[in-house]
Amino acid sequence: MKNLFFDYYMQIDYSIVVSKCNYTIKCIPESNERQTIDSLQMELFPETKYSYGRDGLGNRQIYGSNDLDHTTFHYHITGHAITGLHVFEEAEDDSKTMIFRHPHGLNTPGEKIKAYFHLIRQEIRPEEDAYMNSLILMNRLFCDFSYKQFVTNTETSAEEAFALGKGVCQDYAHIFISLLHLAGIPARYVVGLIMGEGASHAWVEILHNGYWYGLDPTNNVPVTSDHIKIGVGRDAKDCMINRGIMHGGGLHTQKIVVNVKEMEQ
Amino acid sequence: MKHLELLEHTDTINELLARYGVKFGIYKNNVFKEQLFPFDAIPRIIEKEEFAYLEKGLKQRVVALNLFLKDIYSKKQIVKDGVVPEDFIFASSGYMVECEGVTPVKDVYSHISGIDLVKGKNDVWYILEDNLRVPSGASYPMIARGLCRRSSPDTFEDLKIEDNRNYADLLRRTMDHVNVGGHTVILTPGRYNAAYFEHSYLAEQTGAHLVNGSELVVKDDKLYFITADGKYERVGAVYRRISDEYLDPMNFNPESLIGIPHIYDVFKKGNVALLNAPGNGVADDKGIYYFVPKMIRYYLGEEPILNNAPTYLPFYEEDMTYVLEHFDDLVLKDVAEAGGYGVVFGNTMTKKQKEDFIALLKSEPRRFIAQEVIDFQDIDILEGGERIPRKADLRAFVLMADEPLVWKSGLTRFSRNPDSFIVNSSQGGGFKDTWVLSH
Repeated sequence: MKNLFFDYYMQIDYSIVVSKCNYTIKCIPESNERQTIDSLQMELFPETKYSYGRDGLGNRQIYGSNDLDHTTFHYHITGHAITGLHVFEEAEDDSKTMIFRHPHGLNTPGEKIKAYFHLIRQEIRPEEDAYMNSLILMNRLFCDFSYKQFVTNTETSAEEAFALGKGVCQDYAHIFISLLHLAGIPARYVVGLIMGEGASHAWVEILHNGYWYGLDPTNNVPVTSDHIKIGVGRDAKDCMINRGIMHGGGLHTQKIVVNVKEMEQ
Repeated sequence: MKHLELLEHTDTINELLARYGVKFGIYKNNVFKEQLFPFDAIPRIIEKEEFAYLEKGLKQRVVALNLFLKDIYSKKQIVKDGVVPEDFIFASSGYMVECEGVTPVKDVYSHISGIDLVKGKNDVWYILEDNLRVPSGASYPMIARGLCRRSSPDTFEDLKIEDNRNYADLLRRTMDHVNVGGHTVILTPGRYNAAYFEHSYLAEQTGAHLVNGSELVVKDDKLYFITADGKYERVGAVYRRISDEYLDPMNFNPESLIGIPHIYDVFKKGNVALLNAPGNGVADDKGIYYFVPKMIRYYLGEEPILNNAPTYLPFYEEDMTYVLEHFDDLVLKDVAEAGGYGVVFGNTMTKKQKEDFIALLKSEPRRFIAQEVIDFQDIDILEGGERIPRKADLRAFVLMADEPLVWKSGLTRFSRNPDSFIVNSSQGGGFKDTWVLSH
């Protein structure tokens, strides 16, 4: 169990004035069996009234619009999280989990991933359960794929990243989901935060015996008390932290600063 | 027969239709072309009893399809009970995760459904496909009837035909049923859309405002219409003639310039009705078509009144075997395509094409359905003063208002090519009025 402070800051600077914009932000961690969230604070600039809602997968979001001239847009979300309460979360009804048994979007396997799965499938042990087999697959992927920034982007599919042999957490998660589906294990994409400074993080949850277990393929570990979960989806596109459209703006520069640290006792 | 006189007016009616802008816009090779939708004055005539049978069957079908949509986006009981395999839901491009857990006003998903049927040479009607997204076509027989009556009033003097000009009333009743308070608007993508004539005509006939995306705005979780003098007036129902994908750039395709940002968020909160509801594509997919008779039994505990064309799903092994054995007798359809595209007849392929197709079929069995070729009845059309037989189908319109309503008419489309079974207007076909006899 850990007592964490988290801080997510996103800023976009425009080269030309924006006269009107719409935004949806899905960066609101919620309490669940693994974590308790409190003291949540949100600040938005330009400051406007926003609405709360949930997306089709149940992730919390805020959305709104403004028609104030601005050349910078930012939001800042901070809060406390008590993490590591449990290693799993109880799964919802089957109607909510069956969605995660099927390939979709960026996690759809292509020929290369299928061939790879064929190659490693004998490592899966039929006598073992989904959790153990997921660990086996994760370990194998960790050995065969390497971490490298700036070779992939947010639109890169599992198949494309796999062909490159390297990528970032998003790519690890997509490929892992792809392999898990091929192995018949329901799996979903998780976006969240991890201890330290940097950006948001992505991992995977697998369904086993009615519970979702978090596995972090980038670090080849089960999710720990260093992980704060934000939202889930079939792939990264379902979990986009923010989305917006604007009139004007010209060139954009985006800056994201994330900090998660242990609270002083 | 007196009604033959009407036929002499064919050219006049077509000229009037052209003047009213009854046109079809299509993009071919990136060029926008407007073409006339040729009208043939020989009507399709349906007897009173026969239509009563169709009406009953159509209502049953659309009620079941609406229940299916509600089920799929909530409990998925029909999937849990093994009636429809999961693959056919989640691999369908029509399934939209954004619609999970969302309840449209009064649980109506498909307010306006266009159901395509054909009558076989054996006198049996078959459903060819369900159109539950943005079906178009009702305006054509509506305006044609009006013009026919004007050109040839004698024809209609003692004929007992159901008046089809009440479609606007039925549509109004359907829109009012779900309106949550405020204006009713018809949302058009604009004049370059294939069915722009219909959008403007239906707006005029129902008294709804015809608007484009830039005239609507979301504010404080409600939808407003911006009047010419800049005032905001609340909108309670949107009959949108924009596909799901382009409806809301904040929830669907972010590139859309014709949609309204956050309209879907407002819909989710029950603050506006959208006709039809987003997400309906999962129920009118060609693969799901196979399961509609099963849905009727499952949700209503009734036997389907109307028949599907005999359909095989290569997804099932025994159906695959059948398809391979009877390949030349079947028509194969790509489930992802519409508008008469992606349809191939087994007996028209060369040996090489057949081998390639079978290889594709085996690698992607979920992607295709196979159907017996229905030899459907010809209807005469006039060409150069001669009556010649052509294949024709019927698009019937079913509206879900306070009760299911079937419009006593429909769009009869015919193929102008003597050898073709494909009647879609995007493939150059024409249309006829559909007369339902009232006695």
